[in-house]
Amino acid sequence: MSFLSLIVKNPFRNRTRAALAILGISIGIATIVALGMITDGLTASSQTTQNSGAAEIQVTAEGSNALSATGGTLNANYITELQNISGVSATAGEIRGITPAAGTVSGLLVSGMNSNQTNLEGISITNGTMYADGSNQVILGKQIAPVLNKTVGSTINLFGKEFTVVGIYSSGNIVTDSIAFVSMSTLQNLTNTNGKITLVDVKVNDNANVTDVANAITNAYPNQLSTTTQTQTNELMSKTTGSIKTASAAISVLAIIIGGIGIINVMIMSVFERTREIGVLKAVGWKSSDILIMILGESIILTLVAAVVGILLGVIGSEALLAFFSTTGSFLKPLFTWNIVLRAFAIALIVGIIGGIYPAYRASRLPPTEALRYE
Amino acid sequence: MNDKENIIEIHGLKKSFDKGRTKALTGVDLEIKEGEFISIMGPSGSGKSTLLNMIGAFDKADEGSITVAGIDLMKEKHLDQFRSQKIGFVFQLHNLIPNLNVLENVEIPMLRTKTTNEEMDKRAMELLELMNFPNLSETVKQNPTRLSGGERQRVAIARALVNHPSIILADEPTGALDSKTTQMILDLLKDIHKKENVTLVMVTHEPDVGAQADRTITVLDGKVVEGKT
Repeated sequence: MSFLSLIVKNPFRNRTRAALAILGISIGIATIVALGMITDGLTASSQTTQNSGAAEIQVTAEGSNALSATGGTLNANYITELQNISGVSATAGEIRGITPAAGTVSGLLVSGMNSNQTNLEGISITNGTMYADGSNQVILGKQIAPVLNKTVGSTINLFGKEFTVVGIYSSGNIVTDSIAFVSMSTLQNLTNTNGKITLVDVKVNDNANVTDVANAITNAYPNQLSTTTQTQTNELMSKTTGSIKTASAAISVLAIIIGGIGIINVMIMSVFERTREIGVLKAVGWKSSDILIMILGESIILTLVAAVVGILLGVIGSEALLAFFSTTGSFLKPLFTWNIVLRAFAIALIVGIIGGIYPAYRASRLPPTEALRYE
Repeated sequence: MNDKENIIEIHGLKKSFDKGRTKALTGVDLEIKEGEFISIMGPSGSGKSTLLNMIGAFDKADEGSITVAGIDLMKEKHLDQFRSQKIGFVFQLHNLIPNLNVLENVEIPMLRTKTTNEEMDKRAMELLELMNFPNLSETVKQNPTRLSGGERQRVAIARALVNHPSIILADEPTGALDSKTTQMILDLLKDIHKKENVTLVMVTHEPDVGAQADRTITVLDGKVVEGKT
């Protein structure tokens, strides 16, 4: 027997108590892991957005933004009118709508666009072909296709009409890859929005400043149009990521405090029950520091086991959570990194030390005579 | 016996508790020679267990002098080291660790020494063999909760001997045993006392048990009143 094997063995004397303590701490760690994976996934997706080479500005009706706008809120004339703004290189209109789709909870976002202008969304077909204008053909983003369980040749009901999937595309933008594109005229007919669009994609000249062009658009159409630049989208994503990170940090602190209190309770109980035993260990020559290391080690063992359980629960939990909200899940993939594992173990270690130090100190200070008299 | 040197020398030893309100030892003078087997007797509350605790360096005296195995316990800083190397303690209630098996319980005092696992196993097995267990290979793997009172006390005696102590301190080692098991444990202690050449100091309130020692001392009201030397 070694000192280490004794430390590993001791916390499991009372298996029910150890299991409950581990469960309590592992729930906190699972929350931290799940939030960490989702936050990292969101960060990764926003970084992908930054790499997009499509239109730099999206123009929507006043008061809305490109990330959430749907419906025929703009007159299609804006597509040509905006080409007259200085610095604009090209424009393309999009009509957007949400239709129920199997495999999604909040529905599938469908965008109608002229097939020869989809380059402004950075779209390139990776499998199959582009849809024909005026047809009932659809192309699906590479993120959403597996969620919908569709591939080239499949049919899909959009707005009450059967469409044939003719292509799978990639855009370099994880949000764009999570929607479907059809012919603009087809979607306008289906949604009774002829002559209307949701937004205009604006490609800026190489030598023009994106912000200046965006300002020029809003100045030219006050109280009519809003602009969302790629930079603003990235900022919005960063802000969202930042909020989740802050929440994650707050939950981590809470988990440390709650877990720490739980461990203090468990270890104090354990020390109380083993007072005579501690007296015996001192009687046979163990130093106070040996007792301190043993109790602290036991506390750390409990929290490290909880970390393993918590990491497993967190990974399963984050996947399950995003699978349930699969529209979001289609572009937001939980990202498992070793950094999260390290973070979970570091938190477990901190909880173990914080929770174990006081009971360990108390145990180490017990006078042998008093400990041996304890009943 | 008289040629041997004193292994325990105590002079004017005083100890009180509760901020001086309870006087446990009121001036003990005692000398014990190396290799002696002595029993300390006296009524409940007379101070005999406190005296044993002072010899075992479990507690520090308030006044007087106490030298055990050449170490001045009033001045010694590393009392844990002293207990580990010089003293083996046998308790009335054996105090074995329930989640460890018999072999591991015997090895506990060696765990924080520089002894290797192989050496620990060897030494523990040697001592357990001395304890006359009928089926030792099976017994060593068992948890103490599955042993009888006498068997547990034999494991506790093996644990007390494991670090080759000079002195065995036994506090009512037969107090919780029936008469047949009591004699068996006493025979074992006497046997070890001879074979391992250790000094044996035993606290007991049972006259029959005390009478089996080489010498009996009586403690009353915190003082040794009979058999000082």
